[in-house]
Amino acid sequence: MTLYGAIFYLLAAIILAATALALTRRALMHAVVYLVNAFFATAMLFYLLGAPLPAAFEVIIYAGAIMVLFLFIIMLMGVKDGRDMDAKKALAVWLPPVFLGAATLAAGWVLITAPAGAKEALPMARATPAELGRFVFDRYWLGVEAVSFLLFAGLAGALFLGKSGDEAGKTAKDGQGGAA
Amino acid sequence: MQANLSLLLALPLFGALVLALLGRRLSRPMVERLACAAIIAAFIAALTALAGAWGETRLVPLFPWFSAGGFSASMDVLYDPLSGIMAVMVTFVSAIIHIHSVGYMRGDESYARYFCYLNLFVFFMLVITLADNLAFLFLGWEGVGFCSYALIGFWFADAERTLAGRKAFVMTRIGDVGFLIAMALFFATLGTLSLSGIIASVSALSVGTATALGLLLLWAAVGKSAQLPLLVWLPDAMAGPTPVSALIHAATMVTAGVYLLMRLFPVLALSQAALAAVGAVGAVTALFASFSALGQRDIKRILAWSTISQVGYMFLGIAAGDLCGGMFHLLAHAFFKSLLFMGAGCVIQALHEEHDIFRMGSRVRTAMPPVFLLFFLGALALAAVPPASGYFSKGRILYATLSHGGGLFTLYWAMGSLAAILTALYTFRLVFVAFFGDPAFPPKTWDIEPLPRFMIHVLWPLGALALLAGGLNLPGNFSGAEWLSHALRTVPGADAEFHGVSELAVSLADAGFCAVGLFLAWMLYGPRTAPGRRGPADPERFAHRMLRSGFGLDALYRKTVLTPFLALSGFMRRVVDEGAVDAAFMSQGVLWARTSMAARRLATGRTSTYLLTFLLGLAAICAVLLAKGA
Amino acid sequence: MIVPLEHILLLAFILFLMGAVCALARRNLVMILLGLEVMLNAAGIAFVGASLRWMEMDGQAFVLFIMGVAAAEIAVGLALLVYCWRRSGSLDVNVFSRLKG
Repeated sequence: MTLYGAIFYLLAAIILAATALALTRRALMHAVVYLVNAFFATAMLFYLLGAPLPAAFEVIIYAGAIMVLFLFIIMLMGVKDGRDMDAKKALAVWLPPVFLGAATLAAGWVLITAPAGAKEALPMARATPAELGRFVFDRYWLGVEAVSFLLFAGLAGALFLGKSGDEAGKTAKDGQGGAA
Repeated sequence: MQANLSLLLALPLFGALVLALLGRRLSRPMVERLACAAIIAAFIAALTALAGAWGETRLVPLFPWFSAGGFSASMDVLYDPLSGIMAVMVTFVSAIIHIHSVGYMRGDESYARYFCYLNLFVFFMLVITLADNLAFLFLGWEGVGFCSYALIGFWFADAERTLAGRKAFVMTRIGDVGFLIAMALFFATLGTLSLSGIIASVSALSVGTATALGLLLLWAAVGKSAQLPLLVWLPDAMAGPTPVSALIHAATMVTAGVYLLMRLFPVLALSQAALAAVGAVGAVTALFASFSALGQRDIKRILAWSTISQVGYMFLGIAAGDLCGGMFHLLAHAFFKSLLFMGAGCVIQALHEEHDIFRMGSRVRTAMPPVFLLFFLGALALAAVPPASGYFSKGRILYATLSHGGGLFTLYWAMGSLAAILTALYTFRLVFVAFFGDPAFPPKTWDIEPLPRFMIHVLWPLGALALLAGGLNLPGNFSGAEWLSHALRTVPGADAEFHGVSELAVSLADAGFCAVGLFLAWMLYGPRTAPGRRGPADPERFAHRMLRSGFGLDALYRKTVLTPFLALSGFMRRVVDEGAVDAAFMSQGVLWARTSMAARRLATGRTSTYLLTFLLGLAAICAVLLAKGA
Repeated sequence: MIVPLEHILLLAFILFLMGAVCALARRNLVMILLGLEVMLNAAGIAFVGASLRWMEMDGQAFVLFIMGVAAAEIAVGLALLVYCWRRSGSLDVNVFSRLKG
């Protein structure tokens, strides 16, 4: 096992552990902070795998923008407790997805390890940010436009939902009350 | 020539279009002038066309219409003396009826609609008259059917009148089926629908095909011309305004069937069987309808039955191979019958919608002498009193029938002669009862409404023609020039000569039949007859009931066609539609509803359930891939 | 030499399933959205690994797109979450069950 290999397994362990902790926390704040850890580790993994630009974006967008947005929302709403289940029912709630996930994992394991080429250790390589940027704008300029458009639509949608939330919520509540 | 014919067709169409689009915005005098001017101009165009192409046959292309595969229909005009004379007659009678209508419809609010339909009718009638292509002719054929329907039901607020219009439309459609099959057969055998093409290649037809075509054409003509067995619509068609009855149901449209047979006479002439069938239809109808006319009390119904009977004579003339005689009677009949109808219309209107001849009496004659005189002229022609036009035209047909020879045609002649006696009888029954003596029943009102003078006086040309149109074709033994025969000699099939029987003897016999009929009418209904005996026969008597109802033909159709059809419809609705089709669809619906109710439980509304199915799908995909890879 | 591609893919697969199980088992809307983020991130790892395996930059380009889509999704998702919170005062996903047939 090379040094780089050792670093990979270390990062993988960190990612898996942090994610597992994050997804089982009751307190939402804790969950988000663990997930930020996992994303930092993922960023380093990207760097290791020769993708510095995605690594930087992982930090900036995932850990930076998205997770911070989550934090803001959680603080805004003042929800501290993410508890969402009865302790008695915990098994009934967790068992089907975990079982299904385990089964899928077993099947996927076989599928992933089956091809012979997958056994070879990958070489070191690096795509510099400049190269990748030129490549993206050269080959996928239409996709970039589409994503920018999607972001704009998301912005508009978020604005609409947030702005009209008060009135729409009120009328919807009235309607609900009337129906009930 | 082309411009002339285009104008002839376009003017009535233009009038109809303008009236349809702008009619409601134009003032009443404007509408009336426009409609009349269009028809009078068309009359002038028809006259100049006839003068310009005297005795010639021309194929004048107007528009290409459509063509598909080997089939092509173009709006061409086959102009020969037959169509030329027919066009002049149609436009002439139409023009007089338009002017008369101005007076007749003076109190009606829907004048724009009325004149629009009337103009449109003239256009379609001219299409029938002039068309070279059978498909184009069929356009006019259906068009006049539509206008007839619209004008019979003109006063649509009255349900009975709209029903009469519907009946006429449906009954004539039965005949159109024959026309369509005939067209298909023409195209299948000769590959063309052009009249000129058909006549040019008529010798290629086998006798069997010609018989089939002849019978199909007869079927079509029977529907349009209200002959047996499709005649029941015409008496009911009298629900329309009287000038409409005069134009459509006396002078022009009902003779369209006869005209079609004349146009395609060379095809008929190939088959003796078809000609005999035409003769049978004509002779039986002539006799049948004149009996029925005897039993009527409604003045318009008498005239309607007499129209059926007179058109029967035209069929008989064609069957005898006498195209000229048929055309001659068609023209004479158009003049005197439209005159009679409009005279009847004047009487009806003056007597406040009184149709019953037994409520009229001498007051009508004394109040409106010109109307009586005109009506009398028409009656003379209808009864074939020499020397009125009907005498010569009907005589020509009877002469041709008798000289055709053979037992069958002698029988036809006998039937026609009997019908001639009856014609004189019912005509003068009508004249005597409606214009002489005291009414047998008290009228609803003794008041007689004065009519606009022009409405009566515009009929004088028709009166003169009713009396003198015999001069169109005076037989040789009356030192006549036979002008019409001479004019029509270039029309295919119209050059027949008749020999073997003395024309003079037949003419004298006709005069004798007429005299017998007149004598009977005088004895039974004459002014000298005691008023008590002049009244209508006991309506409950079987013979009278049969006559009045046209031998119960309507009831017969109701029993044999309508009732089984309704029963079948009821069966189809109850058993087939509701029992089978509906039930099948309903049970299918129930099945789907049950399935949906079961599937509904899957939709818990919980996001987690939906996500679980996603994961389930992923597991399934992995499992499938694994199974395939392994 | 680092590691074989299958290890990278296994890591991505495990991460993806963890996200999916979280989205399924947790009832809190925030946690479900976090689960979605983990799933998207797992897909990104697989793309980067594949990019290295075949020495093509398309995989890395797709990671960028995934990030763009994730950003848009989370903006709308969080706005919806706020909207739901205002409407019913709860973030429990089972409260929002009016789609029930």
